[in-house]
Amino acid sequence: MAFVARRLLYLVPVLIAVSVLTFVIASLLPGDLAYVILGDQATPENVAALRHDMGLDQPIWLRYFGWLGHILQGDFGRSFRTGQTVLQAMSERVPVSFELMILAELLGLAIGVPLAIACAAKSGSAFDRFMTGSAFAMLSVPSFLSAILLIYLFAVELRWLPATGYVPFSEDPLANLRFMVLPALTLALAEWPGIMRVLRSDMIAALQEDYIALAKAKGLKPSRILFVHALKPSSLTLVTITGINIGRLIGGAVIVETIFALPGIGRLLVGAIYNRDLIILQGVVLLVAAGFVIMNFIVDMLYAVLDPRIRHGHA
Amino acid sequence: MKPVERARALARIFLVTAFGAAAFAMPASAQKQGGAITVGLELDIAGFDPLKVGVYDTAALTASSAIFDTLTYLDDKGEPQPKLALSWTHSEDFKTWTFKLRPGVKFHDGTPFNAEAYKANFDRQKDPANKCRCAFYISAVNDVQAPDELTLVVNLNDPAVNYPALVAYASQNNAVHSPTAWKAKGDDYNRNPVGTGPYILKSWTAGDRMILEKNPDYWDKDKVYFDRATLKPLPDAQSRFASLQSGEVDLIWDDEYDADNIQKAQKDPKLTVHTFAGSGAAVYAFNTKTPPLDDVRVRQALVMALDRKKWSQALNNGLARPASNPYGDGSWVKCKDDGALPEDVEKAKALIKEYGKPVEFKTLVTATPRGRANGQILQQFWKRVGANVEIEQVDQATIPPRAFMRQFQVTPWRIVDLADPDVQMYANFHTGSPVALANYSNPELDKLLQHARTTPDTGQRIEDYCAISRLINKEAIWFWTFQNTYYAIASAKVKGLPKMYSGVIDVSRAWKE
Repeated sequence: MAFVARRLLYLVPVLIAVSVLTFVIASLLPGDLAYVILGDQATPENVAALRHDMGLDQPIWLRYFGWLGHILQGDFGRSFRTGQTVLQAMSERVPVSFELMILAELLGLAIGVPLAIACAAKSGSAFDRFMTGSAFAMLSVPSFLSAILLIYLFAVELRWLPATGYVPFSEDPLANLRFMVLPALTLALAEWPGIMRVLRSDMIAALQEDYIALAKAKGLKPSRILFVHALKPSSLTLVTITGINIGRLIGGAVIVETIFALPGIGRLLVGAIYNRDLIILQGVVLLVAAGFVIMNFIVDMLYAVLDPRIRHGHA
Repeated sequence: MKPVERARALARIFLVTAFGAAAFAMPASAQKQGGAITVGLELDIAGFDPLKVGVYDTAALTASSAIFDTLTYLDDKGEPQPKLALSWTHSEDFKTWTFKLRPGVKFHDGTPFNAEAYKANFDRQKDPANKCRCAFYISAVNDVQAPDELTLVVNLNDPAVNYPALVAYASQNNAVHSPTAWKAKGDDYNRNPVGTGPYILKSWTAGDRMILEKNPDYWDKDKVYFDRATLKPLPDAQSRFASLQSGEVDLIWDDEYDADNIQKAQKDPKLTVHTFAGSGAAVYAFNTKTPPLDDVRVRQALVMALDRKKWSQALNNGLARPASNPYGDGSWVKCKDDGALPEDVEKAKALIKEYGKPVEFKTLVTATPRGRANGQILQQFWKRVGANVEIEQVDQATIPPRAFMRQFQVTPWRIVDLADPDVQMYANFHTGSPVALANYSNPELDKLLQHARTTPDTGQRIEDYCAISRLINKEAIWFWTFQNTYYAIASAKVKGLPKMYSGVIDVSRAWKE
């Protein structure tokens, strides 16, 4: 329990740093918000008046503390364009991105893990070399390309799946999955190579350990050795990769959501940047970053569950 | 009003109403009631409250044409026809316009539409306390009065001989909102718009879809065919086109930067490419107060150095139509001589030589792939004649403030498609206007602009505007690159799409075969 508390305490400075960075980056974006809002009405007097109203004429640190103060009271602010609050906008969009990331991660694991095991079991074989090569090739295909290729194959040519759009899971689970398959697959195509390569080398290393030789000597079935004795210790690596991948998936979601027209957080962010909707931008980036930090905290906790040495601070 | 004038005005009302009725009673042969249409737009619609969003973008305009009505609409010839207004008259000086409104029209929430409701919309946008971005576009209107239930009087600051045509499309200023609704909903009104239009907003998921259902009590419901229209933001051009090919959407917004797909669609019998050659153009303004652009020879040389055909080829397979004046083929202003400078590299070189000093300056471009491409093309054209231009990439949102503060030497700009050139020409070129970006003042130009806006006779106005074009082209204070062309690609089954004036895709009176 002390371990959990210690880890939780570490989160505080991280989140503060995230909030400062978010605020500063948003403030550094070129293009004065007052000009954006006023548009063609942007006479110097109007701009000065609006800047004053919005507090933009105050020093940045004052604005930062004002913003942080509101957030600590649960008020993330409202978009100047849509009138939606940050929390409303997030609550509409989080389920979409969350589902996309979970599905992408599951698909990535579903492709990567079996291939890793197969390659590790026959390391050095033609199959192994082919798969390692393919993984490397897949890693170099950008997701905007694979997305368009998948759309042309499955939506335009074969017409099996829709090209764009979204239906909420609560409305029609099956339709929801149909819309989600291609975007999730696009992300998964970039995920599995990493999973597969790391897990493969980890398992190959594990298979050369003494205890595997002992297991073989004891006459255990090769499949049992592979799945239980070699895979379980390597799963720690898997957890690490999964945790790191979440950050990459958030980045990938921005592109994939735009191409597949999914109403997720990535689209919200892109729109906020284009429209200089700073309130939405700051709020969403902060919440996403906090989410990322918390996910990694959970990953840390999982380590402890999987490996008692970490729990006791001997690692 | 003099008796003759009154007789003319009455004749005008008669003609307008008669033509209006005729236009609404067009052949009903192939139209089919029922069904639904799904439209793929580029952008996420931010909302409809003018105070919040300021200006409607192309996506919002498609939705607003379905949810709202305007006083007039433009027929195929570009003439204003009755919609919420049944008829109109004007004062002799064209500064006061009186509209007779359609009786018995109700907003979707049951609020009656009348002159008071229209006035409330106008006053709300105009009120300085509301600081609406939209107020800029009604700065020419001094006030709106509602002397009785169905009479609306619009008092303009300056004459506008073609005012009814200017209020025809469902822009942030022209769409008529229910005053009860915005008062009751406050901040939430933006995403819960209430109009008098043929469709009622049923549901709207941000970033995903907007579902509109046919208004059962619409005053013109026989001419509204689809039971339902779904609007989806599909930001990526490739997947938007793929969605059309796979049949998930029936119609998509597009622009000429997506030349490959447009040309593919032109060859596809299952698809129809709808285009509209609007008035106006993409333009650049020179800041004539900064050397070397303060010298007319340099400016002329830079314009002569352009090769718009090659430019169009490089940019979008030649889809973009070169422009030689600010009006374009879509305008009723047609000039025998618009004074366009020849595209002549040798002459341009000679002019630069004559100037004698090195020609070095900067141009703003938007920090987008298109902006960069345009900047590089300009750089090459100008290099050929001995001018060195440095490209300064700035964010799209940064261009207007830089332009307003005159912090540029060359900046991209646009003259949008409007029914009458006056509004933009006057703003862009009259001495002292905040958008007169060239920092250029010429009493003759001012006189022509003033004359053109106060003259009712179209022939005379055309002459004025052509003289204006000749003067601007000669002085080379702005230059025009490509005319405005608007695109929508639809399944060949979709019929009845009206002309895309101002780039608005209006599906509210379309049907499927």
